[in-house]
Parts: sequence; C-alpha cells; structure tokens
Amino acid sequence: MEGALAVDDLTEMLKGTLEGCVLEIIGGEETYGYAITRRLNELGFADVVEGTVYTILLRLERNGLVQVTKRPSGMGPPRKFYALNNAGREEVARFWTKWEYLSSRIDKLKEGGR
Amino acid sequence: MGIHGIVEGKKQWRAHMARVKALPPDYQVVYKEMQKYFFKVGPVGLADGTLLTGVLDFFEAGAADGTRVLALVGHDIAAFCDDLVKDSPTYAEIHQESLRTEGGASGQD
Amino acid sequence: MRFWETVTGSDLTRDWTAFEVRAAALPDDHRAAWEQIKAHLFPYGNFTGRNLMPILDAALGLLEQTAAEGQGVQEVLGDDIAGFCAALAGGEGARTYRDRWREQLNRNVARKLARLGG
Repeated sequence: MEGALAVDDLTEMLKGTLEGCVLEIIGGEETYGYAITRRLNELGFADVVEGTVYTILLRLERNGLVQVTKRPSGMGPPRKFYALNNAGREEVARFWTKWEYLSSRIDKLKEGGR
Repeated sequence: MGIHGIVEGKKQWRAHMARVKALPPDYQVVYKEMQKYFFKVGPVGLADGTLLTGVLDFFEAGAADGTRVLALVGHDIAAFCDDLVKDSPTYAEIHQESLRTEGGASGQD
Repeated sequence: MRFWETVTGSDLTRDWTAFEVRAAALPDDHRAAWEQIKAHLFPYGNFTGRNLMPILDAALGLLEQTAAEGQGVQEVLGDDIAGFCAALAGGEGARTYRDRWREQLNRNVARKLARLGG
C-alpha cells in the first residue's frame, strides 16, 4: 500500500470518484460486488465496504450503464454480475477525461503555477 | 398500492418478512431498523418494492459469504440508507410539491 | 371514509378500506396512534389526498412493524405526534426529524447488536 502518511480518512475525498473507479473495474471484466470491493481494498481503499459498492452498482444499473446477469454461486443465492454496456463505456471515458483535467489542475496548483 | 401492495398483497409481504427472519440475528437487527427508517422517510422505491427486496437480496448474499453485517455495510447505517435513496424523491417531497402546484393553480395561496 | 370520497374520489376508498382492515389488527395503543396520525395528517390533505396515501401507508407499516416487535408507540413516535406527522408529510421540522431518525437508527442498531453479544 502506498503513502504511509495518514490516508485512513479518504471517504469524503473518494466520494465523487468511486463511481468512476467501479466503472473502470467492471470495464476490465464482468464481475460482482464482493470482488469489486476486494479489488478496491487491495488498491489501498481499505474503508470501502460492500454496502458502498452496492449503492453505486444500484445507481449504475438505474442509469443504464451496466448489463446485469444473475448467475448461480457456490454459496447462497444467485449473484448479480455486472458488465459495461456502450453507455457505460462512454461514461468511463468521460470519467477519465474529467479525472485528468481535475488532477492536472490540482497538480498545477501544488506546483505553484497558474 | 404502497408498501404492502409492493410486494403486492399480504401474502408476498409475509413471504418477504419470512426471508428477513431467516437471516442471521445481526442482519435481522439492521434490516428491521433500516425498514423502520425508510417507513418514516418514505423514499419512492418503497412502493414498487425494489428498495426493500434489493436490500434483502444483498443481505442474503452477504450472510451466505459469512460476512458480519457491520463489515458489509459499515457502522453508519443511516449513511448507507441515505446513499441507497440518494437520487430518489420521497413521498413527502412529492406531496409538498403537489401542495405548491395545486394550491397555486387554484389561486389559494 | 367520507372525507376521502369527497376530496379524492371513490377510487381511493378501496385503498382506504384496506388501511382500516390493517389498522384493526393492531394492538390498542398502536391503533390509537394510527387514529392520531390520521387526524394530524388530514389538514395536509386538502388538495392532495392522493399524495398523502403512500405516506399513510408507510406510517401504518411502521406501526405494524413496531407492534410486531413489541416496541411501544411512544418509543417510535416520541411525545410530539403533531411534529412527527408534520415531518412525515415533509412539513415544518422535517429536516430536524430526519436527523433525529438517522441518529435513532444508528443508536438502535448499536444497542441491539451489543445485546446480541456481537
């Protein structure tokens, strides 16, 4: 995990970007909520719980950005698997454009430029 | 109509609550408190059944994974609830809106 | 109920009858609370009885659940039923009440989970 400096309270800062992160992860391959959460935890976002991912997935589904397939699982009830549709792929592209804009501006601010 | 109509009718509602009773105890506690909160707040997802059955599906999967409920949704249950209904209006808001427009239309304000 | 027929038309009386059937199954305290909730919500329904129905439905659901859990009416509604009802309908104090409900939710969960010995 990077950044030994206090990065334990990212929740607020992450809020606006988590949806884009989830879209990106789904874009890699069809996946489900638990796996998405683990992936985010491994990335260093330790505070992200499955419930948070669930609310994001609901929103993505409602906004028509993902294709949802129910598949049987080894344990318990069938799981919902998520893949991006065309609208979802466009949304990821938009997210990265916005992110690059934002991070480049903020970097500039830090470097003292204008 | 409505919450018990949701899940259209008594029988489905009973089946719904039977699923709740089959959850592990910690999940039951959180589910029931959440449901009461939603009854007060009144998000529109209550009426078509998607909100509560969605939560229940999610909880059943979490319980099957052997996850404790607080590890699943975090300690701030209210924040989780609000997140779930973030972009859906409440009945109260719809009601207030109709008071404004209908009241205005009949020239009563 | 006459009020609803005159104000909102008879199509709602069917829903209304269903409410009353459910209310009749409540324990006394909870049924009394239902009567009070109706009485307090009526003034809000002058133009828009229809929009009030889902709110009443949810309130009834709340009473049913608390009754099933053996929870007292007072614990749920508090001392100020008028204020509680105004909040249900999105009127004055709704925001304050929502904060209170939020805290109540987290507090109840914490207390009940502790009691489970988790």
